[in-house]
Amino acid sequence: MKVKSSEYLAKVKPLLVCLRDRLLQEYPYVSVLATDSKAMSYRVSKNGTSISTHDLLSGRGFVVKVYDGSSYAEYSFNDISEDNLEELISNIREAVVPLAENLPEGVKKSAYRMLEDEPAVFADSTEYEVDPESYGDEAIIRELTQISEKGRAYNEKILDCIANLSYQRYSKLFLSKNRDMEQNILWTAGAFFVMASKGEEVKNSYRGFSNLGGLELLDKMRDGVEKVAKTALELLESEPMIPGEYDCICDPGVTGMIVHEAFGHGVEMDMFVKKRALAEQFVGKQVASKLVNMHDGAAAAKEVASYFFDDEGVLAQDTLVIEQGILKAGISDAQSAMHLGTVPTGNGRRESYARKAYTRMTNTFFEGGKDKVEDMIASISYGFLLEEAQSGMEDPKNWGIQCMVSIAREIKDGKLTGKIYSPIVLTGYVPDLLKSISMVSETVELGGGGFCGKGYKEWVKVSDGGPYIKARIRLG
Amino acid sequence: MIERIKLALAKTGVSVYQISETKEESVELFFIRKSLDMRRRKAVKKASVTVYREFSEGEKRYLGSSSTVLQDSLTDEEIEKQIASAWYAASFVKNLYYELPEGERKESVHASSGLADKELAESAQIYAKALFAEDTEEDVFLNSTEVFLKRTWHRIVNSRGIDVSYVNERASGEFVVQCIGEQDVETYVDFAYHDLETEALRRKVRAALEQTRARASAVQAPPAGNYRVILSGDYVPTLLSYYVDRAGTAYVYQKYSNYEVGCKVQGEEVCGDAINLTLKATVPYSGEGIALEDRELVKDGSLQLLHGGIRFAYYLGVEPTGHYDGLTAKAGTVSLEEMKQQPYLHVVNFSDFQMDSFSGHFGGEIRLAYWFDGEKVVPVTGGSINGSILDVQKNLTFSKELQTEKDFEGPMAVCMEGISVAGSEE
Repeated sequence: MKVKSSEYLAKVKPLLVCLRDRLLQEYPYVSVLATDSKAMSYRVSKNGTSISTHDLLSGRGFVVKVYDGSSYAEYSFNDISEDNLEELISNIREAVVPLAENLPEGVKKSAYRMLEDEPAVFADSTEYEVDPESYGDEAIIRELTQISEKGRAYNEKILDCIANLSYQRYSKLFLSKNRDMEQNILWTAGAFFVMASKGEEVKNSYRGFSNLGGLELLDKMRDGVEKVAKTALELLESEPMIPGEYDCICDPGVTGMIVHEAFGHGVEMDMFVKKRALAEQFVGKQVASKLVNMHDGAAAAKEVASYFFDDEGVLAQDTLVIEQGILKAGISDAQSAMHLGTVPTGNGRRESYARKAYTRMTNTFFEGGKDKVEDMIASISYGFLLEEAQSGMEDPKNWGIQCMVSIAREIKDGKLTGKIYSPIVLTGYVPDLLKSISMVSETVELGGGGFCGKGYKEWVKVSDGGPYIKARIRLG
Repeated sequence: MIERIKLALAKTGVSVYQISETKEESVELFFIRKSLDMRRRKAVKKASVTVYREFSEGEKRYLGSSSTVLQDSLTDEEIEKQIASAWYAASFVKNLYYELPEGERKESVHASSGLADKELAESAQIYAKALFAEDTEEDVFLNSTEVFLKRTWHRIVNSRGIDVSYVNERASGEFVVQCIGEQDVETYVDFAYHDLETEALRRKVRAALEQTRARASAVQAPPAGNYRVILSGDYVPTLLSYYVDRAGTAYVYQKYSNYEVGCKVQGEEVCGDAINLTLKATVPYSGEGIALEDRELVKDGSLQLLHGGIRFAYYLGVEPTGHYDGLTAKAGTVSLEEMKQQPYLHVVNFSDFQMDSFSGHFGGEIRLAYWFDGEKVVPVTGGSINGSILDVQKNLTFSKELQTEKDFEGPMAVCMEGISVAGSEE
């Protein structure tokens, strides 16, 4: 089934058209992005249950962008009616555009061309099988409760098992002089976290799930919590890593974190504009093993970051970032592309209508290869299988890696020994790691359980992943 | 809007509820080098409504709850529909019974400050001027800067009489310093103030410029091994967040933490400095409408208080304190100079320093550290530290020097022994 259009956006569209047209009398370029979003979160643990609106992802609102002949200004608001239309226009004219006045000494206003505004008129929706609202809160909580109880019953050392699920159904309308586009999207994500304790120490293990669609996701979530509980118990017996450089196999989650954190942030082209990304100097050069092909794009995969147009009205694309190890292209928002003289790639995204658009990743992943996971393990005389990506931090300027991983399973003479080390910090230089990739498994898995920040803010939903990869990595 | 919501609550039959209404206005300036790249304003208003539903099963009483976000743009029918949906959802939320706090209507609080007295655009100009005032060098400079000036009106109303409101201002943002020296490097810094703290911001910019210049000459990672590690700046409150988190009623009730009032948080035997922490109120009321005041959390290593919101406090039978964002810590016993008399690795910048309050593990990749091998001090970059607070907490040493950093006031630095560093293998 297709996700339905927003009745609210249909109702206010004539007002938005009127606002656009009035502003076009004063400014050469005007765009209006309107959002109507409903997102819900469900969580069950031993000590409580919660059902709530997802505050970050929910709400109705608007952002107007105007071009004053040399630069851009924006106004975000969440109330529009015939009564306040004049006030909105007056605010933009008298309180937003003049913010470029009285700048500090030596600071000037940027000079940009006017944004391209090729005609585009369409409305499209993603598909789903099970509608979360029809499925109902009661049934969702019942399913999560069963998962949580199963996880808790696994062993007496299990402190708790948290099962959660969230979904977002949103509609966006983009209006400019030549564009009138509508999109309606639904994604769902879930996870379970199992916590186990020994003395003062609490260890946890998790598994995430996501799809572009509805509660058909629950089919995937019904099994597997015991495996996560088993891992949480294994972690209680883990040992600290002996720092060093090792042959490693990364599971698709860890591959995804390397793709996203270590490399993906470095090809966000607003960083090229600021001269903050080393990648700009490497376009056309070898940055990874020939086995590596990397994609990003809202149209590159069907996952939580898929859409038809971005928050600046640019159509979604599938960008081939790395082809056979050669860096081919970065990803960009419209303003950065204009600055660099490149074509925007549909990666201009906002946390919400209330925030600025930046270049952001969408669905980011390595393509699969030809190897079997068992052959990859058998090829290692001493090393580790890395699992459960925890967190990572980008370093586009220097391509330094900082990724945290929960589990390193020891491999000796081509076999897993059963010994676990935890927690693990991956460090090194990104091209060294990527060039060391010597084996790539066949199947690609993407996960969209988390959010991505720009620095420490501007959270947007993303997915990342890839196949199992074998590489040489510094662990600590 | 609150009256419309109350009407819809009454129509739906909801008698226990909390409404939190916020109206937020901001001015936002985005600079690349010395050019204003984008300017923005924002004016948004919304209300979060939580409805509570009491029910019993056998002898056990439960209080289910569910929350929804409402806006002025919703019609009365839409508001009623969302509240009815939340009311229905609350019946499936089987949380043990607890009670909302009681209160009364209070006068709105708007503390005077340099920010309170000014229009947001004017304050944004003052902060932008302060940022660029230090940007006078050739080799090291502000690469990009974001400045946010925000004024928020808060009102919290519940069905047991609480009706409190306050207005607060916040100046926040971030800047990236770049140095093109032996290497081309950068440092990311964020800031947040509740007053016109332009001198503090200028100091921060100056320190970042100096630090980035030092990083440009740091070419190698420290050799792998165990070090006396000194952390300073933001990393001190991040490390201390372990104790704050574990003293939370949510952690204690859910047995993620074994803390109880009177326990020795660093263990019975402390050879270094005993910790002293106070929760600091940065706003007049918590999100649940509880009046916030500074509260002593840890005194000489001994836990004085469990802190948190109403639900877990009710279960544990302790007073709900509300959630705090601010923390103060007492100064230590040695000066930074004394701390540096023996070999050390002083990490001043990580890519991202992580403190896991469940396991006690902390770590991060080193962007810039100063390594003193007993003879000379060398700036180093790369490698990572990986430690456990459980292993080092008996021997923590805090500096006499203090810092004021975002919502933290306390020692400038902390020193820990025997921390594993993954570095170069030479």
